[in-house]
Amino acid sequence: MNRRDLLAWATALAAAPLARPHAQTPVTVRWWYHFDDPSASPAELVRAFEASNPGIHVQAENIPWGGGSDYDTRMYSAIIANDAPDCAMVKFNNMPRLMEMDAIEPLDGRIAAWPGRADISDYLWALHRASDGHRYYLPVQYVVLYLYVRQDWVQKAGLPMPTDFDKFLAAAKAMTGDDRWGFGLRGGAGGHDFWCSFVLGGGAKMVKGGLVTPEALAANKWFIDLFRVQHVEPPSAPSDGFLQIISNLKAGRTGMTIHHIGSANEISAALGDAITAMPVPRGPQGKGWTSFGDGSNAIFAQGRNKDAAWAWISYLSTGETNVAFNKLSGQVTVTSSGARNWSFQPKRFIDATVASLPIAATLPPSPQTADFTRTVWPQTTQKALLGQISPDDMMRTFETLYFG
Amino acid sequence: MRRLRRILGTDLPVAAILAFALLPWLWMVLSSLRPESDYARYPVRLLPDTLTLANHIELLARTSFAQNMRDSLIVAAGAVSTGLLLSLPAAYAFSRLRFPGRRALRVQFLVVNMFPVVMLILPLFVLLRDFRLLDTYFALIIGHATFTLPFAIWLLTSYIDGIPAELDEAAMIDGATRLQLMIRVVLPLAAPGLVAVGIYLFIASWNEYLFALMLAGRNVRTVTVALQSFIGENQVHWGLLTAGGTLVALPAVVLFLFAQKRLVGGLTGGAVKG
Amino acid sequence: MRAPAALPWLLLAPALLATVVLVFAPAADTLWLSLHNVVLFRPRVRPFVGLANYAAMLEDAEFWAGLGRSLLWVVAGVGLQFLLGFAAALLLNRQFGWRTLARALIIVPWALPSVIIGLVWTWMLDFNLGLINEIGLRLGLLAVPVPWLSQPATAMAAVILAIVWQGFPFFAVTLLAGLQAIPPEHYEAAAIDGAGRVAAFRHVTLPGLAPVIATALLLRMIWVANSLDLILVMTGGGPGTSTQTLPLYAFLRAWSGADYGYGSALAVVLTLLLLGVVVAYAVRSAR
Repeated sequence: MNRRDLLAWATALAAAPLARPHAQTPVTVRWWYHFDDPSASPAELVRAFEASNPGIHVQAENIPWGGGSDYDTRMYSAIIANDAPDCAMVKFNNMPRLMEMDAIEPLDGRIAAWPGRADISDYLWALHRASDGHRYYLPVQYVVLYLYVRQDWVQKAGLPMPTDFDKFLAAAKAMTGDDRWGFGLRGGAGGHDFWCSFVLGGGAKMVKGGLVTPEALAANKWFIDLFRVQHVEPPSAPSDGFLQIISNLKAGRTGMTIHHIGSANEISAALGDAITAMPVPRGPQGKGWTSFGDGSNAIFAQGRNKDAAWAWISYLSTGETNVAFNKLSGQVTVTSSGARNWSFQPKRFIDATVASLPIAATLPPSPQTADFTRTVWPQTTQKALLGQISPDDMMRTFETLYFG
Repeated sequence: MRRLRRILGTDLPVAAILAFALLPWLWMVLSSLRPESDYARYPVRLLPDTLTLANHIELLARTSFAQNMRDSLIVAAGAVSTGLLLSLPAAYAFSRLRFPGRRALRVQFLVVNMFPVVMLILPLFVLLRDFRLLDTYFALIIGHATFTLPFAIWLLTSYIDGIPAELDEAAMIDGATRLQLMIRVVLPLAAPGLVAVGIYLFIASWNEYLFALMLAGRNVRTVTVALQSFIGENQVHWGLLTAGGTLVALPAVVLFLFAQKRLVGGLTGGAVKG
Repeated sequence: MRAPAALPWLLLAPALLATVVLVFAPAADTLWLSLHNVVLFRPRVRPFVGLANYAAMLEDAEFWAGLGRSLLWVVAGVGLQFLLGFAAALLLNRQFGWRTLARALIIVPWALPSVIIGLVWTWMLDFNLGLINEIGLRLGLLAVPVPWLSQPATAMAAVILAIVWQGFPFFAVTLLAGLQAIPPEHYEAAAIDGAGRVAAFRHVTLPGLAPVIATALLLRMIWVANSLDLILVMTGGGPGTSTQTLPLYAFLRAWSGADYGYGSALAVVLTLLLLGVVVAYAVRSAR
């Protein structure tokens, strides 16, 4: 093995291969994807695309998600070894790192000339713009996080729906007891979305010093106290992951949790009309913050079939095709035309998604965000939930990670 | 009385250890036979109201699991044969021959397993890319065989150490060459060890995930990768996972059911007396 | 008996070649990278920093804590695997009617991929919907349900339980093969000398099995020290960092934290520590 091979990542990455403008011979587009449903296959979409685009063959490869870590490890290794696919499904949290590696292709020119552009709302386009002003990601699906609420329990307690933090705490307290808890917190990886809603929605800001202001520290203490002082969350909350929060809600062990429309069918099948969804509660200053769960396609700079790759990913983000794609992925179409007749989940969950859009945001486009969501947030928050560190120390750790 | 003693002294302890070994798996088997709505129920129901094969049918009919089992079998069979071919001569050399550097070389094979594989995978990926071996059976077979060499060589060496050297000497006096000696005398006597090591190699390859994820995936997709893909970003397919977890244990168990006779039969008193 | 000087090398060549190409060359890469400040997503800027990554470890509380947890993980995990596996091997070596079936079934835990083992134990240990709390409560062994994976001490115990479950069949099979290799005459001779069962165990079984036990323990120790997939599935190193062993820390730092240079250095240190143990073992057994 040639050691320089690995050491010369730089050369491998810098040598951007020349795009072949009009390939005469059939080209193969390698595309990586991940769907939640293992029996959902994009084969039908590929067939339809190949029929209308003779000369392009799409090789779709299903990469295990593995909590995000398997997918990312595979992707970074392939880029470093100069073996990246032509295009792949990607997430915001990786964008800064991929940009810094010059691994992804700017799509500004292609998007400007693309007829499908107008069918995606300006709001979505704005969210998908990179920090350097360019466009690298073509949106293909999205979700917005909302609050699931056992409305039957809230009504029984004679309380208003939890639209702000105070009402949320009152509802959570009322639901707690008799072997059940008001709020199913996700303390394991992925739970940063919960924290964002209560702490960034409660006054903390993702700017230098913004995580350690008095309001920020108070909001975070309130968030940690839900577990440590109010006891409205199950004792397992520090390690609960996606599977646990959804199962507990379905089993009637918790009354509220935060997730998105991807689980709506499963949950309404288990709980029927007892469950509803609404935007996450707003903080004392009236501010709200919920996570925008993105899903895009990007074209890799080292690929050789960029035109063909663009033809494929733009096909996936177009009208009816995008609707079909999201039926497979279980998320929401990015096209305005598709959204008008969207009916794959009960209406109240679609309404909650739409009503949450105005407060939907994302974590800052920093190379630290991937580490924050995967490792630093769960480890630090769990320590604070267990009382190993103070809530204020927790915020200082985050401040240091992001802003030095 | 004797019978009672055997039951108390042998059957019961064996049953207790087997219960520990099997209960988690049986709980999974039972889960795989439940409708998926049963998984999130409180209070927990030990026994399901209805039994269903829906999960198993979905697994085999609507996912590529059967194909993935085949790929895993090919890789594991290749890893067992390659591993034994590489390790048996080496183990024989370590056990029977004296040469400078023998001890250091034996230890260096242990070093193979000392490095966390997650920190080797990136250079390995580059290497196999250079050889154009990514996503081939060969890549996984040679990878699995190499990373199990420490076990194979060390265990085989200690099994061969257990075969009395007088037997070799008797055969040498009879004029057998080294190769004949290895095949006719050592190989049969080392059979229990070979079976134990073979099973080890099979299971290690069968359960391996990181290489299967990183070095293959499309043309060659093993069961471990398939099982991992049942855990999505927003959904865990508990039905498919438990059905897959039920089936995935079977090949090794069946293999061992047949192979264990060899585990016993290798060494006879007569041969040792020689 | 004498062999040609080249023979051992001929016999070792294939295995040596495979390890040099597939293990030592990549390991040399990692060793080299550990002397640099390598950020995964900044491939262009990779300054040589000498031993700075190693020096940083001395100050890194998580490194020392991870080292301690690794020690507990290996000693408890391998020790219990061995004791249980040894007991199983002795029992399965006896005569009883359903021996063949029992021998085959005992390998079930070992025959399952880590992802399945991790998920099944996580689910059985689940606070709300887990089998273990359910049975514990029904039998009166537990007064209240326990959040096993959400408390540092019980979480560590849980991941150790899972690795013991996964690994004890390995010892059972390996030691069973070793037991089969002890010539029956040795037991007959011991019986003639008037040795009871305990004496026969001490003077025939243990010495006869000693090389296999030593080898299996050594190999398993190295393997368990480096295995992180079960922990990754069950706790991800949590709650907090209470189950984060050294290789898991290296993995998270290198890939999630993108600090590939530091992750490489952690891996190198872990290898050196294990090598120290093995060399000590080799020196002792040479005496």
